[in-house]
Amino acid sequence: MSAAAPRPGETLLSVDGISLAFGGVKALTDVSFDVRKGEIRAIIGPNGAGKSSMLNCINGFYQPQQGRITYRGVERRQMRPHEAAEQGIARTFQNIALFRGMSTLDNIMTGRLLRMKVPFFWQVWRHGPAMREEIEHRRFVEGIIEFLEIEHIRKTPVGRLPYGLQKRVELGRALAMEPELLLLDEPMAGMNLEEKEDMCRFILDVVRQYGTTIALIEHDMGVVMDLSDRVVVLDYGRKIADGTPAEVKADRRVIDAYLGVGH
Amino acid sequence: MFYREAGQFKTSYEADMAVFPIRQDRIGLAIILVAAVALPPFLDSFVVGTVLVPFLVFSLAATGLNLLTGYTGLLSLGTGAFMGVGAYACYKLTTIFPGVNILVWILASGFFSAAIGVVFGLPSLRIKGFYLAVATLAAQFFLEWCFVRIPWLFNYNLSGAIEAPSRSVFGIPIVGASATPLARYYAILAIVVALTWIASNIVHGRVGRAWMAVRDMDIAAELMGIRLLRAKLLAFAVSSFYCGVAGAAMMFLWYGGGEAKDAFSINLSFTILFMIIIGGLGSLLGAFLGAALLHLVPIFLKFGLPELGVPIGGATAEHLTHILVGALIVFFLIVEPHGLARLWATTKQKLRAWPFPY
Ligand SMILES: Nc1ncnc2c1ncn2[C@@H]1O[C@H](COP(=O)(O)OP(=O)(O)O)[C@@H](O)[C@H]1O
Ligand SMILES: [Mg+2]
Repeated sequence: MSAAAPRPGETLLSVDGISLAFGGVKALTDVSFDVRKGEIRAIIGPNGAGKSSMLNCINGFYQPQQGRITYRGVERRQMRPHEAAEQGIARTFQNIALFRGMSTLDNIMTGRLLRMKVPFFWQVWRHGPAMREEIEHRRFVEGIIEFLEIEHIRKTPVGRLPYGLQKRVELGRALAMEPELLLLDEPMAGMNLEEKEDMCRFILDVVRQYGTTIALIEHDMGVVMDLSDRVVVLDYGRKIADGTPAEVKADRRVIDAYLGVGH
Repeated sequence: MFYREAGQFKTSYEADMAVFPIRQDRIGLAIILVAAVALPPFLDSFVVGTVLVPFLVFSLAATGLNLLTGYTGLLSLGTGAFMGVGAYACYKLTTIFPGVNILVWILASGFFSAAIGVVFGLPSLRIKGFYLAVATLAAQFFLEWCFVRIPWLFNYNLSGAIEAPSRSVFGIPIVGASATPLARYYAILAIVVALTWIASNIVHGRVGRAWMAVRDMDIAAELMGIRLLRAKLLAFAVSSFYCGVAGAAMMFLWYGGGEAKDAFSINLSFTILFMIIIGGLGSLLGAFLGAALLHLVPIFLKFGLPELGVPIGGATAEHLTHILVGALIVFFLIVEPHGLARLWATTKQKLRAWPFPY
């Protein structure tokens, strides 16, 4: 781990020359970009461009065949997902990956697991230290539940919730980890306009209140333009553009990729 | 109408996190506990010995398997063998150190099963579902082989059986020929109540949440910082501990000794598995409901029906039991995978709203 945490505006994460292939399928080819502390960084591109694969490399689900990932100034070759979690990287999934048999509250409480350290011996009695720890984290989680306005579904098993609320609970679970870097894979996919607006508000508030750095994948160009500070565009596993939303929007290759010209 | 939480407001997180947040549930539990202590002296000792004691032993084993299969999502067919490890460990301990309280040894033998469970749980990091079940099946057969082939385990008895020596607690014999069913019942009741309370504490806290996360989606669990191997091995350890204690209790408080290799066979593994499927995967109440149903149905068919004047032979009753249990398993797997416990929860939900449908 690096000695000093990066200050706002400094580079928190940089990926350098990442290539990833599944058998013959090249998911990513020589992709490089960086994420600065405190910004919202969008990753866009057509379906199958390799966006989700990129996030999977960052938090250790996939091991790229080539390239380097530098996080908080430390370069790493291989990392397991639980190590990424310990380093302060949280994420949500394109296809919701909640714990379906558990309530909203318990799902979000799992985000605190890394910070709950009272040994098994005390868990057995559920009094004393174990109970104090449980209450302390419950209090924190209630703060998130209030922030996301999901008090009414606190005790509901998440499998029974509508899609939009599940996405919100998944965001809550990631927030409960108090991450330094939050990776959001299509947080607004399949939502209606109102739900999208809510989600945008939550994302902006997260950055403002907790100073979290966010890398997000999104399809809705309007949302991307509104939310993000900088955008990287992938197409067929390659980076084709990188810059502010306005720059990217005007880029010839981006327009072609989105309109399907030239392929 | 009577089952309402109206007016019961939680004023602290501690109250809200209680295992039974609704007062009626707490009262119900208290009544059951009082009845479990006060009623058995008035029951026929045959009933205590053949209905209540086995029911508690099965409940304990089913609780153990439920921690592994229901809460952590790891299917095991080695329950019978893990129970056997407990029984043999207890036998060795109490013959080597006869002076120590037998209840201490019954509980201590759980640690031996826990250790064996961890060893056979190691493959669970790499394999799951069907393949893990097969690996635990291998454990079952390997351990059964040990029970027969290592005479040191049964103190070189020519019959190969475990003999239950006489053991007393506070001057009251609870193991051996002179132990009454009632004394054995209170011994197993104390163990089951204590261990169920502990299981409830575990599953409602950090550890239980980690287990359920592994069960519901292991990749997301890893992302929350859970170390899968550690969580799974802990589940194997705790689960096997419970099974081991149940096995020791089965041998010493129920059977009173006997041919262990038949007792701890694959059939026992399946019986316990069926109990949690019917009772409810991932529910402590379910372990008890399943144990009650699967243990009581055969007894009812064999003794109850003739009492009621229905002429039924022993063999027919046995066949009927198999058919009924099979049908129940198919029913619950298809219609209500969460078993009797979920049916009970749904009923309570309805009661809460009654007489209004919503
Ligand atoms: N686990 C995997 N196994 C095989 N191929 C994969 C896997 N994950 C992704 N891919 C392939 O990599 C490419 C990029 O996929 P993905 O990263 O999901 O794209 P996006 O998120 O941009 O839609 C696709 O061709 C996909 O089929
Ligand atoms: Mg994707």
